Amino acid sequence: MRRALPLLIGLLAVSSCLSSAARADDTLSFPVLVPLTGFLSLEGTSQRNGAVLALKQTPAGIAIASEVVDTGTSPEAAVTALERAAGRGTVGAVAASMLGTQMLAMLPLAGELKLPLVTVSGTASITEQGNPWVFRFFPGDAVTKAAHARYVVEELGKRQPAVIYQTTAYGQSGKAHLDAAFEALGVTPVFEEGVDPAAKDLLPVLTKALAAKPDVLVLHLHSGPTALLLRQAASSGVTLPIVAGSAMHQPSTAALLEPAELKGVCAETAASPISGGTPEVKAFTDAYRAAFGKEPDAFALGQYDGMTMVLEAVKAGARSPDAIRKALSAETFQGLAMTYKSDGKGNMAHSAVIVCYDGASRVPVLVKRYDDPTLAAK
Amino acid sequence: MAALQLLVNGVALGAAYALVALGFVLVLNATSAVNFAQGDLVMAGGLLAVAAAPLIPLPGIVLLPVVLVLMAALGLLLALAAYLPLRRRPPVSVFISTIAVGIILQNGAAILFGPEPRAAPPLFGDDTLHIAGLAVPEQSLAIVAVAGLLIGAQQWVFARTQLGRRLRATAQDPEMARACGVPVTAMILVTFAIGTACAGAAGLLLANRYFVTPTSGGDLILKAYIAVTVGGWGSVPGAVVGALLIALFEVGVSSVLSYPVALGALYLTLLAILVLRPQGLFGEAVRRRG
Repeated sequence: MRRALPLLIGLLAVSSCLSSAARADDTLSFPVLVPLTGFLSLEGTSQRNGAVLALKQTPAGIAIASEVVDTGTSPEAAVTALERAAGRGTVGAVAASMLGTQMLAMLPLAGELKLPLVTVSGTASITEQGNPWVFRFFPGDAVTKAAHARYVVEELGKRQPAVIYQTTAYGQSGKAHLDAAFEALGVTPVFEEGVDPAAKDLLPVLTKALAAKPDVLVLHLHSGPTALLLRQAASSGVTLPIVAGSAMHQPSTAALLEPAELKGVCAETAASPISGGTPEVKAFTDAYRAAFGKEPDAFALGQYDGMTMVLEAVKAGARSPDAIRKALSAETFQGLAMTYKSDGKGNMAHSAVIVCYDGASRVPVLVKRYDDPTLAAK
Repeated sequence: MAALQLLVNGVALGAAYALVALGFVLVLNATSAVNFAQGDLVMAGGLLAVAAAPLIPLPGIVLLPVVLVLMAALGLLLALAAYLPLRRRPPVSVFISTIAVGIILQNGAAILFGPEPRAAPPLFGDDTLHIAGLAVPEQSLAIVAVAGLLIGAQQWVFARTQLGRRLRATAQDPEMARACGVPVTAMILVTFAIGTACAGAAGLLLANRYFVTPTSGGDLILKAYIAVTVGGWGSVPGAVVGALLIALFEVGVSSVLSYPVALGALYLTLLAILVLRPQGLFGEAVRRRG
């Protein structure tokens, strides 16, 4: 054993050197550091799939390397993954975790290492740190909740919303932006209450919301709780319109419900690739299904668009992280979900859509598109 | 009327929680070890039902015996791998080994099933019964009936059969039981099998109405722990009462106050019980052992 140990260490060192040498040429690396386990694994898996699908589009004449690392849900794991990824060859850009706390932890290191982080995190503060290395390809709550509130008030003509939100950071942020958007529209919710994601029975909060005599139910919940509340509303015979948050558009949420339970339900989201649209979106959806055997959602499409914009920059001649950062900062990119353009802080996505279910299918129909709804509301 | 409807939902939820707590307390009594994998075993039972549903396209009540048997087998494996090799070590070794089993189950489920929430088939049907203005899901009634039946059957086995007497003897004093000729190791294996089967049944019952994901077990072990602490460490009726109390707070109190306040009130109640009655509501069994 004593003789074997140095031999083993030697072999590891040699293989590590060989591995580094193999990547020391012109290969550009695009690590995918996303949460595949833990409470955000559903969305993190979509993010991974979108990035991996995009990175299959290797630009001619350029070698691309990529590795997927599960960051779990702890900030430390994300920072360690970024440190390790940075030590392996020339990193062009990183597909970085959509978990806000992990992004906030990675940002100082990304600035130090000078690596662009391409994410679909919705946490508003990640682009408010003055860090030029972060690029968000998913509309933040300021955009999506403005669209959410505007659809309720302007399209449905409802002025007495009951808001049910999650008590997590995601839920609190969405609720704060919903409040602001409703206030801008001159509407005050008749009921607002947060629920823990671990709550098994949502009938109590539903009963209280209905007692406040709302004319619409506005939800900002995670996937499971959204399905749970919709099921309990359907079994209680609730006929009010329901406009849910982006978790509703995820095909895995709709799969938990019967189509009839979805009748009259709408949701805000950045995009709904399964709803169709352009031939390019359909091609993306088909390729995604073929590669992963699942239906894509807006997170997958956002990350796909983000990494595709990175690869477009590489195709245009960007060969270093700084050149890629400059391209992401300055260029406009027509993605599959929307047109992306940095607002100077790294917010690339400024559009949201509303999708609705007809009660006969689990595939929603796109009913309204909002481009820059916050500015329009002002 | 709404209060009655909430009561039905609360009792159904409490009945499912009771099965989780019951499995937990059985293993606790037999081994003096806390099985931190119990929540993940509930998750495993739910996902097992999800996986078996396409193979046996019949109502969940037909799946239930299959889930019970397979989960009992998993319980035997758990005992053989995570308890018996460590039984002579300090209790903390078993705590750690069951935590490790829980993590393995979580990650295994994530690999096999993916992270999406899933729903198991209903026990009988998915309809809602409208009785005198009440909208009562069939599944809620079925959960109460099946959980009651399983708890009752278990009580009968423990109170009226030779196997039950041996299991109780093992739980109360393993050394004395061994001296009297009771095969203690076999009884511990049977206890793990029963406890895990209970977890599987709870998983099937919960996964239809409340869905199941690979990470949903973490919350359930906390509830089982609270139920057993409130009811009395080691008390079987106490575990059931504790589980019903948790459901009362989650459904009943949260219908008056908000859910976060109800959760806070539950923990305050737990603290009050620990201070005023440390042995829990039904804590006599612990006193006898001391």
